[in-house]
Amino acid sequence: MTEDTGTPTPGLEVGPTSEFSLFFRVLDGQGPSLRAALLELQGTPGYRPGDYGMAIKTIHEARFVLFDDDTRLAFITSFDGPWDAYMEDFFTSGPTLALFDVIFGHVEGYDGLPDLAAVRAFVLGAEQTAAAYARNYPGTVKEIRKAQRVNAAFQQVLDHPQAAEALGHPAMQPLLDEAAD
Amino acid sequence: MTRVDGTPDVALELEDIQAGALYERPSPYVGTYLLLRIVDRTDGRELVRRLHRIANPAGGADSAGATSLTVAFTYRGLEALGVPQESLDTFAPEFRQGMAARAEILGDTGESAPDRWEEPLGTDAVHVAIAVLSSDEEQLAAVAEKARAAQTELPGIELIWKQDCYQLATGRTSFGFKDGIGQPAVEGSGRPATDARERPLRAGEIILGYPDETGELPPMPSPDVLGRNGTYIVFRKLHTRVAAYRSYLRARAATRAEEDLLGAKMVGRWQSGAPLAVSPDADDPELGGDPRRNNDFGFGDDPRGFKCPVGAHARRANPRDALDDEGSVDVRLHRMIRRGTSYGPMLPDGVTEDDGVDRGIVFVFAGAHLRRQFEFVKTQWLNDGIFIGAPLESDPLVGPHHEPGSFTIPQRPIRRKLQDLPPFVTTRGGEYCFAPSLSALRWLAELDT
Ligand code: HEM
Repeated sequence: MTEDTGTPTPGLEVGPTSEFSLFFRVLDGQGPSLRAALLELQGTPGYRPGDYGMAIKTIHEARFVLFDDDTRLAFITSFDGPWDAYMEDFFTSGPTLALFDVIFGHVEGYDGLPDLAAVRAFVLGAEQTAAAYARNYPGTVKEIRKAQRVNAAFQQVLDHPQAAEALGHPAMQPLLDEAAD
Repeated sequence: MTRVDGTPDVALELEDIQAGALYERPSPYVGTYLLLRIVDRTDGRELVRRLHRIANPAGGADSAGATSLTVAFTYRGLEALGVPQESLDTFAPEFRQGMAARAEILGDTGESAPDRWEEPLGTDAVHVAIAVLSSDEEQLAAVAEKARAAQTELPGIELIWKQDCYQLATGRTSFGFKDGIGQPAVEGSGRPATDARERPLRAGEIILGYPDETGELPPMPSPDVLGRNGTYIVFRKLHTRVAAYRSYLRARAATRAEEDLLGAKMVGRWQSGAPLAVSPDADDPELGGDPRRNNDFGFGDDPRGFKCPVGAHARRANPRDALDDEGSVDVRLHRMIRRGTSYGPMLPDGVTEDDGVDRGIVFVFAGAHLRRQFEFVKTQWLNDGIFIGAPLESDPLVGPHHEPGSFTIPQRPIRRKLQDLPPFVTTRGGEYCFAPSLSALRWLAELDT
């Protein structure tokens, strides 16, 4: 039965995005195997350099950090929305669970799947809310992706031989202002 | 029967579950909501004893039928009946707090704030909620009379609020739309799914005491006899500003047809109920009225929302397959049974001047998880737009719009953006309740604390 582990602290927010950091102790002697597992993770789709397509579409970035001579592990990310509202979703939908099982098998307190309540308590127990958090751009991942698509399209327009003419209409002025560099 | 994943179908104890949570009300119908206050504990228990005799089990002979009476209690109500504290403490935290205490979270601020609510909604005086729905006035009167009789000669029980409601034969609500179409099917309820793409929900999503979609038992109040076969109920009296809605559309549309289109884009369905996902360009009343087809669709083929805007009310409230590849959300964890009804007279067709009359819906939710069902849908999907990449937009129809909102209607060649959306819905009050099983009603009546 799912125990109510109390309301998790939701993490600091900047605009629509909230920070999410977990800290774990690595099981005795598992430092090397965890490092190997993370190296392997780095080669999987989404984590492969240049992929930009993580399984969870609503996180901006994610990192796993081994520290204190590989005796501790941090997982640090930024999520669009209040992550506490999505706790159950993370642990019932595929990508997170699969990832967790591979990585967190190497840390203390993880008793393995499929006990959802235990996994949830384990994660909440590891969460530490940031003392300070800032972002350098506003907006959700979805908006950033849209902005990138729009900019790519704009650059394509600018590359057209008649771009200046096409942007000559008064309605185009805001775009023309962005066209000069 | 076995499920796709091989686990056996659960057998719901239909004889013990109140019909209201699981089954459609009659349609068309008339009905009444009553709120009672328990001043005297002994009278309270006597009331529960009498209500137990007239409450309808889902397994009853007339479960599909003519009249239904559903009984639910607030936290204060259970307390007034003398439910022991160690048992009260096992209820969901949101239920223990009550709806008014959750107002900031739910977006019930400004005109919708609890200090503006209709008396006695949101106060500690609300203990028992009774819904009586019937297919005709006469039967309603008969059952309402029984409910009233249950309360008469009990000086320790006060009737503190009454709200009549109805549903027109057309099924239309105050804004003109047919409501109550999109509903999940529930395993073991014996009712088939209307959306072939949506496997029936595991019973524990709606009824306590059964495994839910996470594969576990929902947190259940103890003792077992009190929690099992019960469900949480949310009711909200929502005033609809129909004249404001109509004039808003009129000011932005050249023709009546365009008004209808804008309205449909806001809702995600045409007034007849026909889904935009199936009939994007024009209403199709035959489709709207066909229960085999009017809920059988997805959004997967329309990720950008050209047919049904991603911000439309019904698409927000149930994104169906639209979020399947997000990796962070499982739509099945955020479903609900809705049992809303209309109140107040319709604003006559074509009128755009406010007549000052109160009209709207009594929104009713049934489900096992207040937080991840009702509150999640309300806060993440209706009041916010982060999940669709539009953090500044909220639900065009029911969003709080504390600051004038906007609504994007994707269309080629250029999207349309509706600006300065005022609030069309204000909260007049509401409460979180618990509708216990029939055996729990008996248990409550026999308390001797
Ligand atoms: C005055 C306020 C509201 C009005 C007028 C309204 C109206 C409607 C209409 C016309 C539909 C489409 C017909 C249907 O599928 O039944 C609908 C669907 C729905 N609404 Fe609302 N609604 C209101 C408030 C709410 C609230 C507060 C919630 C939840 C917190 C909600 C949740 C839903 C859900 C879950 C659906 C079904 C979506 C689907 O399965 O396709 N509604 N509503």
